[in-house]
Amino acid sequence: MKQAERIETVTEMTAAAPVDASPEPAKPPHIVVSDLVIKYGAYTAVHGVSFDIPKGEHLTLLGPSGCGKTTTLRSIAGLEHPFSGEILIDGHPVYSSSRRVNVPTEQRGVSMVFQSYAIWPHMTVFENVAYGLRVRKISADAIRVAVEKSLDLVQMRRYADRPASQLSGGQQQRVALARAIAFEPAVVLFDEPLSNLDAKLRGEMRVELKDLQRTLGISSVYVTHDQEEAFAISDRVVIMNEGRIEQIGGPQDIYDRPRNSFVADFVGSANLINGRVDKAASGADHITFRTESGLSLKALSPRPVKGDEAQVAIRTAYIGLGATATSHANRIEGRVARRMFHGDFVQYLIDWPAGQLVVRRPPAELIEEGETVTIAFDAEHCVLLEASTS
Amino acid sequence: MALQSVDADAGFDRRGLGLTSQGIITAVILIICGALVLYPLFFLFAESLNIGDPQVFPPERIGFGNYVDMLFDWRIIGNTLKVALFSTGIAVTIGFILAWILTRTEIPGRAVLERLMEVPFYVTPLVGALSWSILAAPQSGFLNQAWAYFGGSNRLIDVYTPMGVAWVMALFEGSVAFVMISAAMKSMDPALEEGARVMGASKLRTMITVTLPLVAPGVLGAAIFVFAEMLGSFAAALVLGIPGHFYVITTAIWELTLSYPPDYGRASALGISLFVIMFATLALYRWLVRKDAYSTISGKAFRPRRMQMGRWTWVLAGFCWLYVVVAVVMPLGALLITSFERFATVLLHQAQFTAQNYITAFSLASVRDAIVNSLILGFGTATVGVFVMVLLVWIIYRSRMPGAGVIEYVVMFPQAVPRMVFGLAILWAWLNMPVSLYGTLWLLGIGYFTVLLPLGVRTLAGVVLQVDKSLEECARVCGASWTHQLRTITLPLLKPGILAAWLLLFIASVRELGVSIYLMGPNSKVIAPAIVSSWSSAGTELTAAMAVIQTLTIFIAVMLMFWVTARLSKQGNES
Repeated sequence: MKQAERIETVTEMTAAAPVDASPEPAKPPHIVVSDLVIKYGAYTAVHGVSFDIPKGEHLTLLGPSGCGKTTTLRSIAGLEHPFSGEILIDGHPVYSSSRRVNVPTEQRGVSMVFQSYAIWPHMTVFENVAYGLRVRKISADAIRVAVEKSLDLVQMRRYADRPASQLSGGQQQRVALARAIAFEPAVVLFDEPLSNLDAKLRGEMRVELKDLQRTLGISSVYVTHDQEEAFAISDRVVIMNEGRIEQIGGPQDIYDRPRNSFVADFVGSANLINGRVDKAASGADHITFRTESGLSLKALSPRPVKGDEAQVAIRTAYIGLGATATSHANRIEGRVARRMFHGDFVQYLIDWPAGQLVVRRPPAELIEEGETVTIAFDAEHCVLLEASTS
Repeated sequence: MALQSVDADAGFDRRGLGLTSQGIITAVILIICGALVLYPLFFLFAESLNIGDPQVFPPERIGFGNYVDMLFDWRIIGNTLKVALFSTGIAVTIGFILAWILTRTEIPGRAVLERLMEVPFYVTPLVGALSWSILAAPQSGFLNQAWAYFGGSNRLIDVYTPMGVAWVMALFEGSVAFVMISAAMKSMDPALEEGARVMGASKLRTMITVTLPLVAPGVLGAAIFVFAEMLGSFAAALVLGIPGHFYVITTAIWELTLSYPPDYGRASALGISLFVIMFATLALYRWLVRKDAYSTISGKAFRPRRMQMGRWTWVLAGFCWLYVVVAVVMPLGALLITSFERFATVLLHQAQFTAQNYITAFSLASVRDAIVNSLILGFGTATVGVFVMVLLVWIIYRSRMPGAGVIEYVVMFPQAVPRMVFGLAILWAWLNMPVSLYGTLWLLGIGYFTVLLPLGVRTLAGVVLQVDKSLEECARVCGASWTHQLRTITLPLLKPGILAAWLLLFIASVRELGVSIYLMGPNSKVIAPAIVSSWSSAGTELTAAMAVIQTLTIFIAVMLMFWVTARLSKQGNES
């Protein structure tokens, strides 16, 4: 019943406020996924996930392999048959277990870029890109114009007459992209599109993807296990693990305020310190966290304290050492046990009262092994984590 | 409310299935294939319980009498097991040695030898048995002729014996052992062997302590599979066993149905029993393979690294060539010589050469019709078969439809039924149908299609599964319907593989014996049974000419198939 109400509000909203004329910042959701459950026989791959994507937003599903992110994406495309739940596109259900709706893939109007690119080797580049337009019975002239336009966007126009089997990986990637946008879909789904490219090319393609997405104004759902990629190109990120959503938020929000130890650990690098909240000593703007070793840390709780929290996370990049130890919230003495030079940063292993602390600093200021240093970090960089359910 | 929602999901699936073109096509194909496979076996089983007049259907009296009668046939069952065990032993031993030499050691002419290993399989057991009977019949056999000519006393060898039957079966039906064992050896990481060498083990020690234990499950699997095949083997026992009154189950069934009045009840009971034994053996094989599927056969192809064998190289190469001589050169040579002689002899100075046998073969209406009919059936079965089987493969392995696993079992079922037992079952089923198809090519076509289902589906599955699934999914995402996707993406991508599968089905149809021998009528003769009847009624020389014609047809198709697959793999490398 609750679901039905929600759908009605969605339709009302779209009817009342046309998308482009809408003055309010909150855009109507373009895609709504609610309580999606996907099972393979007795195995449940996705345990009731819900999220929505406003028009023009770039949302990324991020998680380790086997977390259900690809399965979720594929069920938006209609390539996977969910067990229950609901998926709305533009307010219309394309899948709904309660209303018995399952719109076939080809009628959903979404487009997709596959991990393997799925470039048809028996066609030329032009024929590949024209496929979605030809299916839509558009005139040959219009097809030519549209194909050239999208090949231009990915800088592949001069390869139009090449057999697709003779393209390199990066070129196939671009053709796959051109094919996905040629028929002007409102939604494009990306299934780890960059994972088969080498690191350098991947970096370039990220920038291009982001530009392309801005130019076209499409809504997109992107799946990746690479957190750097997810942060670099997304408006919002959904962190998934074992078929459940761990956290939804903007990249910086997730980085700065991870909800639980899984997110803190999977995204970026962080020190997780065990202890408990000292309620008596906690103030209004920050709390006091007493570590197992008896150390008192000033910390931030992004959510109201429940009482069962037992960990804080401190990002390795947010900790000052020696000359850079400028914060006054938390200042502790420690000793450099090990220094490892990584190039873009230097990683220190520091013995401090709560065990060992990992700190990453720029390579400009080197501290020798064995030196005693002051460690300092702000209260808002020492984030209280929700107790993990598992 | 709760009850409805549980029901809703199932109903919703079913509704989705019924409405789409995919659903309708799927349902039609499934019903047809299910009926083709299971209906005849049902009839055979019903007939095996018929203890009244064996010619009347449905049975007037039902009972287990036919099964009890089998106790009196214990010698035949013993013969069957004996021959199957011997031939399996020979086939697996030869197969293992050949596979090891060709996959693990460096010998000259390996590529040519590997191709030649496939030839006995295409020669067919029937032609193999005929050839070996020309070579080693007790008096007139070429080897015995030569033996006598050079002053040998008595005879050298006699192929009309249980060992002779087992020998010919091993040579011409056992090549599958070589294929399976080499696959197991190829899927083994050579680093495992190199590890042993690095630790200081000799080549021999490495083979005994590492190679053998690792391929043992593969070898055992091959042995069980070959044993099941040998149980249902017919041609060699027919040609070489019956002259010496040596019967196995398949030939006993043949005699029972040929006798007057034909005892279909007992034949069916024997057939069902053989089917049960073979089914159990194959089930054991599947269980064994499944258990080890992940540990030994990783599915990964390793770059083969071969050992230098020094002075042993020539011994190993010699063994391979000896096999080629015994299984290819000698039998086909004897067949070819005989087909051009007035009287079969190996003593060439006594021979009278003539082309008369071929002239007779092409001018005799019955022989000419048999050749033409076989070609028509080959073309028809392969063409219809390939299209239906591609759809089946797609439904089984790609559609994720509920029950796809059951369909796979049904389609693979004929594999577990001895070919000639299935022939009897089909004959019996269609004799009792209101539509009169008996004696027409249509019935043979239906029979061929049914028994070739496992071969075709397995071959095409390999082809279909090589095509990345997302190529098809992408078409759907781009807005194509299922039929449009099949037409523009799936079928064009599968074209070369489909062509190869077509040729394989053509070959299998042209060489078919077990089903043909029961289903052909006076006006629908085909080549393999025609060769059998010519062998028992006309002369050796004419039969040899017919066998050469059949073998040549098959070889041309084989050559085409090799050419197509070579192009296919070249294409695969390019993309």
